[in-house]
Amino acid sequence: MKLSLSAIAGLALFVLGALAPLIFGSQPYILYVLTLALCYAIPAIGMNLLYGYTGLVSLGHMGFAGVGAYTTAVLMKDFGVPFVPSLLAGAGAAGLIGLVVGIPCLRLRSHFFIVVTLAVGMIMYTLFNNLDALTGGAEGLPGIPRPEGFAIGAFEVEFRSLTGFYLLVFTVTALVFLLQYVLVRSDFGRSLSSVRQDESLAAARGVNVFAHKLFAFVLSAAIAGVGGAMKVLFLRAAAPLSFELQESINLIMMLILGGAGYLIGPIIGAITFVALPEFLRVASELRLIFFGFVLLLLARFAPRGICGLTEAAYTKLSNREKAVVAHT
Amino acid sequence: MATAILEQFINGAMMGSIYVLMALGMVLIYGVMHVLNFAHGVLFMVGGYMAHLYFFNLTGSYPLAILCSMASLALIGMVLERLIFRQLRDNLRMQIVASLGLILIIQNGVVQLWGPHALQMRPASVDALVRVGQLSFTVQHFVIIGVVALAVTVLYLFLTRTRLGTAMRATSQHPEAAVVVGIDPNRVYTLTFMIACALAGLGGALLGPLFLIFPQMGDAPMLKALSAIIIGGMGSVPGAIVGGLGIGILESLSTLVIPTDYRDTIVFGALILMLLVRPWGIFGVRVRGEH
Amino acid sequence: MSPILEVSGISKNFGGIQAVDGASFSLGQPGIYGLIGPNGAGKTTMFDIICGRQIPNAGEVRFHSQRIDGMKPYRLAREGLARTFQECRVLPEETCLDNVLFAAQDKRLGGEVVQALTRSGKARRAAEAEARRLLRLINLERYADEPAGALSYGQRRLLEIVSCLMSKPRILLLDEPASGINPTLLNTLRDFLVEIYEETRIVFLIVEHNMEFIMSLASEIVVMHQGRVLTQGAPDRVQSDKSVIDAYLG
Repeated sequence: MKLSLSAIAGLALFVLGALAPLIFGSQPYILYVLTLALCYAIPAIGMNLLYGYTGLVSLGHMGFAGVGAYTTAVLMKDFGVPFVPSLLAGAGAAGLIGLVVGIPCLRLRSHFFIVVTLAVGMIMYTLFNNLDALTGGAEGLPGIPRPEGFAIGAFEVEFRSLTGFYLLVFTVTALVFLLQYVLVRSDFGRSLSSVRQDESLAAARGVNVFAHKLFAFVLSAAIAGVGGAMKVLFLRAAAPLSFELQESINLIMMLILGGAGYLIGPIIGAITFVALPEFLRVASELRLIFFGFVLLLLARFAPRGICGLTEAAYTKLSNREKAVVAHT
Repeated sequence: MATAILEQFINGAMMGSIYVLMALGMVLIYGVMHVLNFAHGVLFMVGGYMAHLYFFNLTGSYPLAILCSMASLALIGMVLERLIFRQLRDNLRMQIVASLGLILIIQNGVVQLWGPHALQMRPASVDALVRVGQLSFTVQHFVIIGVVALAVTVLYLFLTRTRLGTAMRATSQHPEAAVVVGIDPNRVYTLTFMIACALAGLGGALLGPLFLIFPQMGDAPMLKALSAIIIGGMGSVPGAIVGGLGIGILESLSTLVIPTDYRDTIVFGALILMLLVRPWGIFGVRVRGEH
Repeated sequence: MSPILEVSGISKNFGGIQAVDGASFSLGQPGIYGLIGPNGAGKTTMFDIICGRQIPNAGEVRFHSQRIDGMKPYRLAREGLARTFQECRVLPEETCLDNVLFAAQDKRLGGEVVQALTRSGKARRAAEAEARRLLRLINLERYADEPAGALSYGQRRLLEIVSCLMSKPRILLLDEPASGINPTLLNTLRDFLVEIYEETRIVFLIVEHNMEFIMSLASEIVVMHQGRVLTQGAPDRVQSDKSVIDAYLG
């Protein structure tokens, strides 16, 4: 039952996402917001692997997104490297930094680890802000080119227009989602889950807890790097503010809101988090206060977010149905 | 050079004292309840605003304003513990989510109430200067160091000489210990939160006049205090003191050789280095021979 | 032929307390072995050392003549050493079926990732069939798709043991399996342990407080006292041994 529910939701999201340019074709603003939301959904998927499945909290994850973003941006802007290799290089660079950070820090107990990720995020932000030669400092790197289009026969694909770029981000998100799906549904996913639920038990059953945590961390850093790269390609500029502490915290909030530990949780969360304020037209402070209360309520009453609430409601409904059937 | 070092040393000791106040509060909460309260920085900031409010609107006296600010924060601490953190005990991830929520509510709530601009308050101690050799510092520098030293002493006496303090220390080692001494552990938790928040309020009230009072004023001290309690040894009160002062002095002295922009990087670098070399901290206890 | 498990001269102290003090024993052939002793005899520490939770100060543990002391728990598990926990641990959020499948799966990181990409449906169905057979053995088949956290304590205990079996261990270590089990269910537990022993024919090493339970279950008993091994032998011989009686009464 559970499986079919999430499968239906996932498919519905996919179809809606693919058709969005047709549905919202006349409203570029909605498409713009949706594109931005998907740029956040990608690192949120990475965070889901780390937080939702493995149970590790990272408060500096947008730092890794920044590494990916600047790497991709510099390669495309200054060296004219095509999009795909640049994006992969960005992911690789973010993953590499994740590895360097993860090896010493993942041995620490959970509280310490959280603080260190926070510190690492701050350090990276400082570096983005001050390594002027590489990152352009506080001004950032403007004028990042959009990926080149290509043609299949008479059919031309371009990424300069909003619709074109939206479809590109959508494709990348779908690929990252597919990666998440394959990993989570595999034995590897079950091992990650075991680490979250009971480290001692996982170890006693033969899981190398450290190696699994490290793999999840590096992978989620690399995915965050992809997200960061897509974001700066979309905005056509890389600036340190995109990767500051608040952004990392936003990432956690999106995931909690959508539902950590659910495949579609990060996507639901990112869309809700980015889109909702656009339609909730009040002062930004009031909006953030509202989100603060939402977080408190989620922490207290619905730690599994929107997906968890939906699932609970669905189970309740189907149980009632069953009871009725049994009665008659 | 010697004067420059002395200047940065005294500046560092002053900032370090502020970090000590923050770190002590966080260490108490962590030790007794195993909660990492990331919202401690915004409570510090509220302390600054409270002092401003009491100073201009009610008392007109700086010392009285400080005390009222501490009392208000203690009250806030009580509410937070009862309503939020007590319900989330032993749930590390949700504690963090809740404290992130608190940061959003409080920080933006303050912007709503007082506006985004910095406030200023100048009690006499900020304008009066003390000459040390060729250097001059505000009296407030030494007020901060002195008041913090006093607060630390009082806290120490409380923890070691009173029944409630003993219960707090006992609870931090063994949750059931308070029950054995005949004290309701929930009272210990509430009290711990109240004391910790009052210390944050004191910090905000002390630092506010020297710099400015603004919504983000607590962010950096909170991060430095976090580093301090880890460097000192998670859960260790002496560690929080040594760590806090050490970080204040280190970051201040570092500006002599490294651009100011990298000051935070130095502190966090020291933190990461410490975790690599001695993850259990200066005063922490290492657990040996276990996998 | 070397014994299956050989413990020689193990010592472990915590601060000033000598928990285990030069203990030696060996388990020569398959069988159900009991490890008993009065409180503070060092049997829990000994168990922790064999499971890789503690590193001994001196001495060695050999498993099929390979040294295993100081090895990390996950390495031990891959060597075929399965254990249960005194407080009974299962993955609470996974279903019973997933708990059992988890025990059987390949947990090496590389293997898992390759498996994720090249999953063979046939191998998976075979593992699932075996898991369901084991669940039927403990009457939990109808809960196969329920989360393990919803089970009763006794059911979780059985699930834990069955999960261990699923990993095809070469030795099974049980940490006080009878603790917290309703007395009327003890007979069921005993029969179940005997049944699975008959099926697997491997070494079962059981740390136990409940004398009646272990004496009627084990084929051989190792008695520890004050950090040393006092004696080792058949249950009836151990029960009438004067030094054992003295140790329990003293």
